[in-house]
Amino acid sequence: MSDIAVQVDHVSKKFRLYHERNQSIKSAIMRGRRSVHEDFWALKDVSFEVPTGSTFGLIGSNGSGKSTLLKCLAKIYYPEKGTISYQGRIAALLEVGSGFHPELSGRENVFLNGSILGMSKKEVTGKFDEIVDFSGVEQFIDQPVKNYSSGMYVRLGFAIAINVDPDVLVVDEVLSVGDAEFQEKCSQKFVDFKEAGKTVILVSHSMESVREMCDHAAWLSHGELIQVGKADTTIASYLESLHGGAQL
Amino acid sequence: MRYMNEVLASRELLANLTLREIRGQYKRTIFGQLWSLVNPLATMLVYTIVFAFILRVTPPPGNPSGLNIFAVWLLCGLLPWAFFANVVQQGMGSIISNAGLVQKVYFSRIVLPLSKVGSVGYNWLFEMGVLVVVLALCGSFVWPWIPIVIIVMVLLAIFAAGLSLMLSVANVHFRDTQYFVSILMQIWMYLTPIIYPISLVEDQSKAHGGLFGTSITILDIYRLNPLERFVAVFRQLLYDNTWPNPQDLLLCAIWAFAALTIGLWVFRKSEKGLAEAL
Ligand SMILES: Nc1ncnc2c1ncn2[C@@H]1O[C@H](COP(=O)(O)OP(=O)(O)O)[C@@H](O)[C@H]1O
Ligand SMILES: [Mg+2]
Repeated sequence: MSDIAVQVDHVSKKFRLYHERNQSIKSAIMRGRRSVHEDFWALKDVSFEVPTGSTFGLIGSNGSGKSTLLKCLAKIYYPEKGTISYQGRIAALLEVGSGFHPELSGRENVFLNGSILGMSKKEVTGKFDEIVDFSGVEQFIDQPVKNYSSGMYVRLGFAIAINVDPDVLVVDEVLSVGDAEFQEKCSQKFVDFKEAGKTVILVSHSMESVREMCDHAAWLSHGELIQVGKADTTIASYLESLHGGAQL
Repeated sequence: MRYMNEVLASRELLANLTLREIRGQYKRTIFGQLWSLVNPLATMLVYTIVFAFILRVTPPPGNPSGLNIFAVWLLCGLLPWAFFANVVQQGMGSIISNAGLVQKVYFSRIVLPLSKVGSVGYNWLFEMGVLVVVLALCGSFVWPWIPIVIIVMVLLAIFAAGLSLMLSVANVHFRDTQYFVSILMQIWMYLTPIIYPISLVEDQSKAHGGLFGTSITILDIYRLNPLERFVAVFRQLLYDNTWPNPQDLLLCAIWAFAALTIGLWVFRKSEKGLAEAL
């Protein structure tokens, strides 16, 4: 437990909010050199460490910057200040099934999506059966994915992403989709992950599941880190602030 | 150099995305890949009727091949142009049309415009293959020139890739780019000797002499157009069956690598900001 898997060091992320953002050359010329935007700091000086092999929960109300932080971890956004360092391979599950081509079959999409997520063809071939098995769509694997139900879509997408086999897995609120059986399977997969010494960072609005799955948690509010530590204590303070806040 | 390694590391993804485009393109059509021929054929038909029969444009016969068929002469310039125009148009929109992917998954973004070069290039290869067969049937001894044709095709692909790298980024920041460019491409096509021979421009240029008291002629300015060189080289190889003018060939290479260098530089500089600008 001494090892640090992910280190978030004084990270701040700024967005530019344009008053009229119609992304046209005309508006750019009209603005001239004086650009009409406000800086909005979605993350303010956030620092914490995630120990290797832990399951780490991010909690906080809507718009508090959780997704933004995950996107910074996933190298989709780049923070203006501070650094994020991690060991090994990182994979992010921010939205399942992005990159599926509706006209292509499930099989073709597994290979395509796998390579978008950074797997080699050999890796995908090796894990193909496992992916299909986990997704539970064997019967339809040669059908175009546009004929899939949204649940099947999600299952297949999740099955691919989880088989990337990263050292650090970053998951946004995607667990809420899918039926109970599938959620059960996913939770089990996280437990396997943990046992294999891998790190999971997840966002969830369900405090029960955070309490159940996570050993550590961080609480974000309006882009600021309020508390980080053991999951139980962080959740307790968060819940308390909700009830206390109502009285203030 | 590190950037090059990163791009190289994504070559499997690039191949897969290209295949996605190619496979998805003619899914659920009866004629499949044949559709890729229909567009140039229809254009060829229209231009041949308008320019060869009505306006009586007569390009010089192929020297030394002796070919004298307007439609074939036209295709030797039209197919490279159509490839170029399609790569620029589709490459330009490639990041926006994959916005969902760019905002949710990390990967080397450059594969998006480059995959368009691959998928449009695949169709082009098919079209050029058919053209070579047609040329051979018409009596052009085109076979020995094929290796050089392929080199020039690669150069044109590099040039088109460079432009679409720049434009794809510009289009994320200013959505006007695509409308602006589609008009520009139409003008550009008519400023390139595709449906008329350059000899017509030479005549006009001679008639006017040096511009504004200098020795610069209309033709000099006209020939600054990189596509003019590419079309000339393709015609020399395919239609005339002769060595291309070495100066033209060199200029094609210079244009190609200049466009690629600037394109890569622009793309690399703005790649990290793409997800939030979308
Ligand atoms: N691309 C963006 N441009 C401008 N503002 C953004 C962008 N992405 C997120 N934000 C803002 O950042 C804040 C945090 O958003 P987010 O990280 O999605 O919150 P959470 O996931 O915790 O609900 C919100 O106020 C949101 O409006
Ligand atoms: Mg969110």
